[in-house]
Amino acid sequence: MIFLFITSGLFLGWTLGANDASNVFGSAVGSRMVSFTRAAVIASVFVILGAVLQGGGAADTLGRLGTVNAMGGAFTVALAAGLTVYFMTRAGLPVSTTQAIVGAIIGWNFFTNNAVDGHALTQIVTTWITGPVLGALFAYGLYHLVKITRRKITVHLITYESWLRRGLMTVGAFGAYSLGANNIANVMGVFVPSIPLEPVDFGIFTLSGAQQLFFLGAIAIAAGVLTYSKKVMQTVGTNLLELSSEAAFVVVLSQALVLFIFSSSALSGFMVKIGLPPIPLVPVSSTQVVVGSLLGIGLYKGVSNINMKVLGSIASGWVTTPVAAGVLAFLLLFFVKNIFGIDVGHSVNPPVTNGNAVNLAVIIRYSIPALLVITAVYLLYLVLSENKKTELMNKKYYE
Amino acid sequence: MSLFTRTTRELTVRIDEFFDTIEIGILIFKEGIKAYVNGDYNAFQNHLAKIDDLEGKADRLQRSIENDMIVHSILPQQRSEIVKLLWQLDEIIDTAKKSLNEFYVEMPHIPSSLTHDFISLAEVSGNAAEELMPAARAFFREPHMVREKLIRVYFFERETDKAAFQMKKKVFHEMNELSLAEKAHIRYITHHIENISDSAQAAADLLASMAIRQML
Repeated sequence: MIFLFITSGLFLGWTLGANDASNVFGSAVGSRMVSFTRAAVIASVFVILGAVLQGGGAADTLGRLGTVNAMGGAFTVALAAGLTVYFMTRAGLPVSTTQAIVGAIIGWNFFTNNAVDGHALTQIVTTWITGPVLGALFAYGLYHLVKITRRKITVHLITYESWLRRGLMTVGAFGAYSLGANNIANVMGVFVPSIPLEPVDFGIFTLSGAQQLFFLGAIAIAAGVLTYSKKVMQTVGTNLLELSSEAAFVVVLSQALVLFIFSSSALSGFMVKIGLPPIPLVPVSSTQVVVGSLLGIGLYKGVSNINMKVLGSIASGWVTTPVAAGVLAFLLLFFVKNIFGIDVGHSVNPPVTNGNAVNLAVIIRYSIPALLVITAVYLLYLVLSENKKTELMNKKYYE
Repeated sequence: MSLFTRTTRELTVRIDEFFDTIEIGILIFKEGIKAYVNGDYNAFQNHLAKIDDLEGKADRLQRSIENDMIVHSILPQQRSEIVKLLWQLDEIIDTAKKSLNEFYVEMPHIPSSLTHDFISLAEVSGNAAEELMPAARAFFREPHMVREKLIRVYFFERETDKAAFQMKKKVFHEMNELSLAEKAHIRYITHHIENISDSAQAAADLLASMAIRQML
């Protein structure tokens, strides 16, 4: 019975593997520096390691957003997120599993009359902005560093490329590990409260109940990488910006660093130790980070190199994904509860005053800044595309 | 991985060897012209035989480099441009060999008053090609140095054009003792020598754009 319920989580894991995991090696495969087969095998192994060894932190944060307390509810929430990601992937849009699962959990909160944890939602929504911004900053800085290093060392181009190729595989493995650690929460996080499994002792190590679920989810991610990620890898690697091998290396490394930062409890603990605020352990959208990293490289090279149309279509997915997943989760929960009579969860944390008013206030609180950011990005896009058009027209005129 | 490292190292050595071959070929060409114009036909034939060997060696190296780059998927993004560059460089030694062959087959009569002009024309045309080689080597090791090295190529190409123009003008305007056929023959041979610097300029243009892309 448990296995039947987690199939939707496994499906979500498969879509994550097909879509988000490909971001780790997309640039490397798109620039033809690493073959797809090699990339897929490395990604699969390290995603599993990351999920099992370091997947707990981000899962806790997601659990705080909404503790889905029935297997039927967890099944439906994961299914809604999985279907959203699957259909958007089929439409050729790089979507985010993080946004899909967050939208679906909020849909569950609405359906079961549970209050949304404002603090957890703030942390998650903040990473929707800080993730790509950090990715862009890392990419810009690292690319600058790589270029300076290239100028300083007089190594032959072919030798340099062989270093980059090895570097790409190493940082790709690191990226896959971080992705597993960070994004397994999206896949299996909702099942942890409703499926309490007994720890399994292997003698030299013990797998907790959550780790067993994470392991199953990671296997599903690996299956998604191996079976369906080729097309998306080539899209991410080539559509947005024509990538050199150096740029591909930087994109993978900056993405890996961002995902690692938001999933490492050791790093967060270290921050506290030196008197700084802890780093929130939050599932980050790898798609957004990779787009941010590509943007960082694009800014370094000059903004005319960026294919703004692709960037615009990705940005629209950021809004449509959580909304679509939330609405779909609400509808599916209604059908599962009323037609199949399956328990989808109950209210454990009802809103303190008027429930609807509180939920509405939370939505308004986070929607307004999000809308402002989206509007600013859209205006920037319009200005840049207008400049580009003028530039092209002038070029044609003078030619 | 060790196989890949070995291939990389071997390929690097072969690319350097290819550049050496072209560079020696250009020196031989200059010496060959000098020997012919000075009437030292034995030395000229030795130089012709040498450049023939070097041209064959350059062809073999070019093909093996291209082959290894494709088979081992080396520099997949720059490969087509690098292949084109190697082809352009090979074109220089081809042109040099063809030029010396034209001298050997057609035995053009070079009046003594043009000896110095011919030697300096071969010298500046060869210099344009010679100056290209450090730039081509720099592309693989220090791409940011390519542009400043190419300045000398463009300078010598312009000097070649000037020298060829002056010589043709001298032949057609001042040397009335020559028949029209002799004048036309000299013009034709001059054009062959000029071609070397033109090939060097075409390779330099390609190299400049490759270096810019590498720097971005």
